[in-house]
Amino acid sequence: MTAETLLEVTALSRAFGGLRAVDDVSAQIRKGELVGLIGPNGAGKTTLFNLISGFTPPSSGTVVFRGRTINGLKPHQVSRLGMARTFQNLRIFPNMTVFDNVSVGAVGALGYGLRHGFFGGRARAEEISARTWAALERVGLAGVAGELAANLSYGKRKYLEIARALATDPVLLILDEPAAGLNDTETAELARFIKGLHAEGGTILLVEHDMGLVMSICERVMVLASGAKIADAAPAAVQADPAVLEAYLGIADDEEVA
Amino acid sequence: MPDFFDAYFAQQIINGLSLGLVYALVAIGFTLIFGILNVVNFAHGEIYTVGAFAGLLLIVGAAPPLLAVVLFAMAVGAAAGVGLERLAFRPIRRFSDEASLKSRAMREATLLSSLAVSIVTRELMVHFFSGEMQVIPQAALLQEVIAVGPLTLTNGNLFIFGASVVMLGGLQFMLYRTRVGLSIRAVSNNVLGARHVGIDTNRTIVATFAIGSALGAAAGILVGLYNGNIFPYMGFAPGVKAFVAMVMGGLSSIPGAVISALLLGVSESVATDFISAGWKDMIAYGLLVVTLIFFPQGLFGHGRERV
Repeated sequence: MTAETLLEVTALSRAFGGLRAVDDVSAQIRKGELVGLIGPNGAGKTTLFNLISGFTPPSSGTVVFRGRTINGLKPHQVSRLGMARTFQNLRIFPNMTVFDNVSVGAVGALGYGLRHGFFGGRARAEEISARTWAALERVGLAGVAGELAANLSYGKRKYLEIARALATDPVLLILDEPAAGLNDTETAELARFIKGLHAEGGTILLVEHDMGLVMSICERVMVLASGAKIADAAPAAVQADPAVLEAYLGIADDEEVA
Repeated sequence: MPDFFDAYFAQQIINGLSLGLVYALVAIGFTLIFGILNVVNFAHGEIYTVGAFAGLLLIVGAAPPLLAVVLFAMAVGAAAGVGLERLAFRPIRRFSDEASLKSRAMREATLLSSLAVSIVTRELMVHFFSGEMQVIPQAALLQEVIAVGPLTLTNGNLFIFGASVVMLGGLQFMLYRTRVGLSIRAVSNNVLGARHVGIDTNRTIVATFAIGSALGAAAGILVGLYNGNIFPYMGFAPGVKAFVAMVMGGLSSIPGAVISALLLGVSESVATDFISAGWKDMIAYGLLVVTLIFFPQGLFGHGRERV
């Protein structure tokens, strides 16, 4: 029996002027999967990511998440449906404490109407606090909950952002190049962490530049090149795919390998 | 030359503090909005005027207790702030991608649209109420003298003190203890980060305008009753002073803006010991120039992280 499909992208395209940044991409992610999305620079990974998370509206095609068509929804609405993301260039709240950073995720997910925003809702306040602590514990930042986020090291800020995403209690977690800027030891630690989340039942889409990381932990890898999906298979099969090799090696001469 | 600790000097300090608290209430609106949108709201002075007029209309119509007048002015101010956001800010706002967030053009457009709303509002008030000072019922004025030893206070001083302290405290509580406050701080820190974890940025921005405008409107009615003059152009001077306080405070720091506003109020008040009252506005402009030249980050600013 195959697991329920969480995210289904059908014939998705986005053009910027004459450039088709994402060209007729179809893909799906099932519950419990750990999927990698890779591609050379400029392949359209970020654009695809932005189309899925509601940041950019598609030119054509549909995005269905948990059975609902979500094109045209705003990012906060998509987030409340259970899709959480982190950012390649971190978007934490530097002038707020670590605790407050993460509790924004819980507040965002639970909503904050006028009534709940100002008064009442003690039960909800407790739930927010509980979720925040749980997420902080999960990434190992509970000990620095009172610190200003700006004072954390770069590596810890990455985990802070993941904790903020986890506090929304996501059904699908999308990580945008989490290994960027990390050294080998830190990347290995991150790989263990992501595998741990997956083992606990999390569905994760990992958008990455670091081939090693993706190939070592993902169950399935999708490859984008020039806006189109050129492969979607298990890591070993993808690595042997001539189209993938060409896309990567064909541009390797004039591009530095990250 | 007055002795430094004489009653007259103490009197000027007290007057300066209540003046400064009023600047602070107005400056907070500027600061909150700048913090969240990175733009200056040029219609903020008109919110102050609208608050004063709303309060006056209620006084003339129903003569309720002062607290009701202030609350009514705040409610009208909040509504005006929400309307202002709809009219002058939202149509121009584009948070859809990175480039538009940093766009100078967007900031300049908002600057002009808020200025336009400010001019139209002011001229509408002139049209309906004339440009003259309004007649305020004697009983409503906050000019009842209360002697404390050698000092002469008015009940207006006390009200401005009390109301400002309560509102500043309420603001801190709101920002640091409620979910709306948490959202406001999150959006001020990083709009995109907040959006992607479920924060409705439009609603948060509306809340910010409502809160900042309510404080500005409260300042308007309190000062109107204290000074005894309410007229369509009354928002200009406090608007400029509050702007100076915001810049001195480091643009997006509320404590910085409040301290700067108090400093400004006291300096203006004490300066009338030494220079003629007609020149006292020079203090604000002088401080602004000095700040911009020597402390471009503001007196209390620490390099603001740009989105």
